[in-house]
Amino acid sequence: MTDGAALEGWTPEIGKGVPLEEVIDKAFDYRGNVTVVKTDGSETVGYVFNRNRDVAVPFVQMFDADGAGPISIRYADIRTIRFTGRDTAAGSSYAAWLRAKEAAKTAQHPEKGSDPAPSRGA
Amino acid sequence: MSVPLSQMWAIASYVIRQKLAGRERYPLVLMLEPLFRCNLACAGCGKIQYPAQILRKHLTVEQCLAAVDECDPPVVSIPGGEPLMYPEIGPLVKALVARKKYVYLCTNAILLKQKLEAGLFEPSKYFSFSVHLDGLRAEHDEAVCRDGVYVDAVEGIKEALRRGFRVTTNSTLFDGADALRMREFFDTMMDLGVEGMMISPGYSYSKAPDQEHFLRTQRAHDLFSTLLSNPKRRWKFNQSPLFLQFLMGKRDFECTPWGNPTYNVFGWQRPCYLMQEGYAASFKELLETTRWENYGRSSGNEKCRDCMVHCGYEPSAVHHTFASWRGFRDTVQATVTGRF
Ligand code: SF4
Ligand code: SF4
Repeated sequence: MTDGAALEGWTPEIGKGVPLEEVIDKAFDYRGNVTVVKTDGSETVGYVFNRNRDVAVPFVQMFDADGAGPISIRYADIRTIRFTGRDTAAGSSYAAWLRAKEAAKTAQHPEKGSDPAPSRGA
Repeated sequence: MSVPLSQMWAIASYVIRQKLAGRERYPLVLMLEPLFRCNLACAGCGKIQYPAQILRKHLTVEQCLAAVDECDPPVVSIPGGEPLMYPEIGPLVKALVARKKYVYLCTNAILLKQKLEAGLFEPSKYFSFSVHLDGLRAEHDEAVCRDGVYVDAVEGIKEALRRGFRVTTNSTLFDGADALRMREFFDTMMDLGVEGMMISPGYSYSKAPDQEHFLRTQRAHDLFSTLLSNPKRRWKFNQSPLFLQFLMGKRDFECTPWGNPTYNVFGWQRPCYLMQEGYAASFKELLETTRWENYGRSSGNEKCRDCMVHCGYEPSAVHHTFASWRGFRDTVQATVTGRF
């Protein structure tokens, strides 16, 4: 469970082998909406853009599905996070694009090969 | 070197003031991203990989100006997303120019001609368009994953120049770029009449063995050496010559990401324009609470190991210029001779 594509649809159960901090870190890296389930049973759907555990009261920040926010939620109030939204980064790396292009070219000119491609920043 | 003297002087006097004040960390260029939305979808561009509600968001002009006033750098760069899609871009630029900030509006230029015709901007020594072009027609259209963008961008550049605007270009070079084609690109841009060009290697991060990291860095140095070791006198670069020497492998610097801080709809981005490790609510908080020792090539952070990008290392080069007589002499020498 490390890359975005694999996370889409993940509904972790916090506990044995799946610490909350790790799930929060993955939600922070994830380029799609998630559903934050709180300990009181309420749920917030949206995009987690920040998390900070280097403070006295660790928290996450998110914009909800309508873009309202930022909404701050304490780590202590989170039961789990479900990866419910589409991962907008999945399959759209520069390397993936070059590979697809190269594959199309190779299909036309089967004698040409390809080198591994770099990834794009920003 | 193509940066106008007044701009050079503004930056030089700013850096000297910071040094006299004993400031260890100070901003040179604020990367102000008013929105992430873009009219292109270049493969792998992390700036546009967000859910729809985030792409619909943008900063208000007031938020932008509050960030500029708090950070107070001499230069403000407006990347994105595509800043020409920001509904308040005209008033924002006007307000920044009124504050005597040197503004670089980084655009893919698809909308440039249209916005110029709409009278959105006025020429000023404080204001430049920085047009994203990653090479000649074939290379650029491939880089942005759409045919025809190069032609539109060149049309936009011509129109901006015709109207008396300052125009520069910014190009990202990835592993495998063709140095000879890039040299042709430099000629073409100079023929068009742009004021200067900015180049930077692309940022790539992947877990790899030490040897592969070393080779990547070596390949980047080779590419920039081939590009720049015999520069034509007519080529003008709108960036520090010491940074170009760094790209060629002739100098070593450490990353100073606070020199190019980034502000966007999420807040102040840690630690730099490329990496998102979290956000601070104010520039002060960013400076004081970011663990800067965890970043840069010597930190051992593997995400920083191959990085040579301008937003981390160009401020270091500028800092070096004013840190010693030698740095200053080397900068003047490279500027005057046009050799790196
Ligand atoms: S033009 Fe720039 S911001 Fe837009 S998709 Fe391409 S790289 Fe991203
Ligand atoms: S080395 Fe590169 S990725 Fe790391 S902090 Fe500096 S600019 Fe960012």
